[in-house]
Amino acid sequence: MAREKTRAGKHLSELLMNAYMGIHGRAAEGALVVWGAIVVPPELFLGFENVVFCVPESHAALCAGKGVGADQCLKAEALGYSMDLCSYARIDIGCLSDGYKDSPTFGLPRPDLLVSDNNNCSLLVKWFDVHRRAMGVPHFILDVPFCYGPQQEKDLAYILSQFRDLIATVEELTGETFDEDRFRQAALYTAEGVRQWKRFVSFAKHRPSGLTVFDSFVQMAPLFTSRGTPEFAEHYKLLADEVAERVAAGIFPVPQEKYRLLWDNIAPWHQLRKMSERLAALGANIVAAPYTSCIGSLEGSFAPFEMDEDADPLWYLARSQNHSVCPMGMDLRLAALGSAIEEVGIDGVVFASNRSCKVFSVMQMDEQRLIGEKYGLPTVMIDVDHADVRKFSEESAYLRLEALLENIEAGRAGG
Amino acid sequence: MENAREMLEQLRKSGKPVIGCFPLYPPLELMHSMDLLPVVLWGLRDSAGDTRDADRHIQPFACSVARHLAQFVIAEGPELLDGLFFYNACDTLRNLPELLREGIAGSRRITPPMFRVHVPVKLNGTADYLSKEIENLIKALEASFGVRFSEERFSHSVSLYDRARGLCRELEDSVGEGQLTFAEFAGALHRANFLAVEDQITLLESKLASRAGSAPRPAVGRLIVSGILPPPRAICDLIEQAGLRVVGNDIASMHRSYATAPSEWRGAGDYYVRFYRDHFPCTTLLQSSDRRMEEILEMVREREADAFLFVGEKFCEYEYFELPYLEQKLKETWVPVLSIEVSIDDDGGAETFRTRIEAFAELLSSREGLHGA
Repeated sequence: MAREKTRAGKHLSELLMNAYMGIHGRAAEGALVVWGAIVVPPELFLGFENVVFCVPESHAALCAGKGVGADQCLKAEALGYSMDLCSYARIDIGCLSDGYKDSPTFGLPRPDLLVSDNNNCSLLVKWFDVHRRAMGVPHFILDVPFCYGPQQEKDLAYILSQFRDLIATVEELTGETFDEDRFRQAALYTAEGVRQWKRFVSFAKHRPSGLTVFDSFVQMAPLFTSRGTPEFAEHYKLLADEVAERVAAGIFPVPQEKYRLLWDNIAPWHQLRKMSERLAALGANIVAAPYTSCIGSLEGSFAPFEMDEDADPLWYLARSQNHSVCPMGMDLRLAALGSAIEEVGIDGVVFASNRSCKVFSVMQMDEQRLIGEKYGLPTVMIDVDHADVRKFSEESAYLRLEALLENIEAGRAGG
Repeated sequence: MENAREMLEQLRKSGKPVIGCFPLYPPLELMHSMDLLPVVLWGLRDSAGDTRDADRHIQPFACSVARHLAQFVIAEGPELLDGLFFYNACDTLRNLPELLREGIAGSRRITPPMFRVHVPVKLNGTADYLSKEIENLIKALEASFGVRFSEERFSHSVSLYDRARGLCRELEDSVGEGQLTFAEFAGALHRANFLAVEDQITLLESKLASRAGSAPRPAVGRLIVSGILPPPRAICDLIEQAGLRVVGNDIASMHRSYATAPSEWRGAGDYYVRFYRDHFPCTTLLQSSDRRMEEILEMVREREADAFLFVGEKFCEYEYFELPYLEQKLKETWVPVLSIEVSIDDDGGAETFRTRIEAFAELLSSREGLHGA
């Protein structure tokens, strides 16, 4: 049975609708439109009066969540883009090919500047190059070195210098001067929102958990539409407060929670409701995921990395550029995963091997083995594609998920 | 032909440390100048055989280059390689180092020391960063192997690699003139990859000498071949049998690797700033994408090519992101494009491409006179 929509759920819908309508409205009034990759800090653009920022990856995830992802992929494939390419990219290219006919947000306004980065994946650069060629707009690349250990000073300085170059680029395109105070204020709103986000995901530690990972996947959207705004901070406070109230009142998404699982990879956007309900019926709850726990942290950890009021926001944003799992080596990922397993209390791990995200997935076979060895936890690997439902076999996945639950049960019986 | 393992065993007899370099464009000159023997770890298909060890660590949706590399390093690395070098060439390769460490540790052997460099993806304003990376690499190699760097020796190594690259270009021309088959050329380059540069020069010179006087073979079409690796031998043979001549290539392990190198520089750091900045365009050198189309169209014009064959490495997203644009631009200039895809187990399945390649050759012979219309 479908759960009743929470206050934060309703607020999320309003926030997203207002954000997308705001972007379209301001673009129509002449604001400079920036398309950025998800880890590009939008706060930089909030240092300007007349710039709006949108994230094609997030729009693609929304399309997949609304059930129109595969149709967009088909359009891109008809243009010659291989089915092996990332489904976010195929959805985005497909959407654009017919003027966003099926977009749940009326699409995105035409960009004046593209800003990609290579910390999540270098393919974002290739993907944005497709748009650059098609639309003849400048493409700024943020080059973020991969981390096999803690971010190095030389790399931090390198990222900072590129942030300054990006600011200068926007100044040139807009004729505006970057406003340090506006930027600082935006960074503070983000910091507060992210602090509340951390509070929200921390309710996974409660038994039963105060949330499912599917709640946190859905609630990520404002991170890509509304960062740096007061609405962003308010939304996550509302979310965390509401979950706190529900936990205090003994209301839990999976009241009969028998199995507490961790999901390793991007969300399977086309499966959120179905997977959530099927697992709940088995008493299983995926309570956490590095994909959502990494927000507001540094590489190798899910501990909060908070911005002090006195800190240089540019430094803070540069220092946290490797937080999003993909730019981390295996040792860092294992350290972060291990801490989540211990702190949240996990019974089993689902490694979702994602054909559309090699950077997240190529390492998982060793991670699976090492997590199993170190923590003695049952684990399973299932095949998914984060946004192309055609590459997901529901029954094969559930067969494995059920086997995982049986393994956990067997371990308990034996222990 | 000897396989990679046998060739590396030969190489090790020199007593110098052998450095296995992840593809695609490592700083070979630098390592050579420091009395090391760098070898680019591709073309390992024959030596790796299957990928049974790699398959325990990498999903099957990684490309064959990564899977063969992983298989080879896990199975043979500790015995044949004294060090491993890698840079941020692609997303899959950047994920491999710790995975190889785990693979080797699984058989209780010691992983050779690893050396890393981050090559900036854009080269305007990043010269200092890359120079520092090269400086750090030099220090790390000196510390690990007790060797010393000198600019004078580096300059000598650059001249040797220049000579080897020049010979490769001459051999490529010979293939275009029909004096050598593309398969023979690719085979010679594969062999050369596992030699010290001095021996590469000897091999390539002898190959050039041996083709002298050969009568050119007739051709129904003049072809540019593009991809990451040369097509498997059986596909090269199919191309020949269909009457197509490879007059140029845009292959990462071939033309993209030997086409260019800096002619002037001020020290090793500056050399590599220019090396990557001015490199022949490659889908993996993200900053070169603007120049790539121009270079390819220029190659088509200069070699008077009739057609373009894209040999896609299954799961190489770098190549596939650019393919639609490449096809569109070539077709706009009336250059037909045939696109085929090679995956890890296609060595034995080349016959499945016969009909397509023959039909493509027939198309070319039937449109004689239409070129440039």
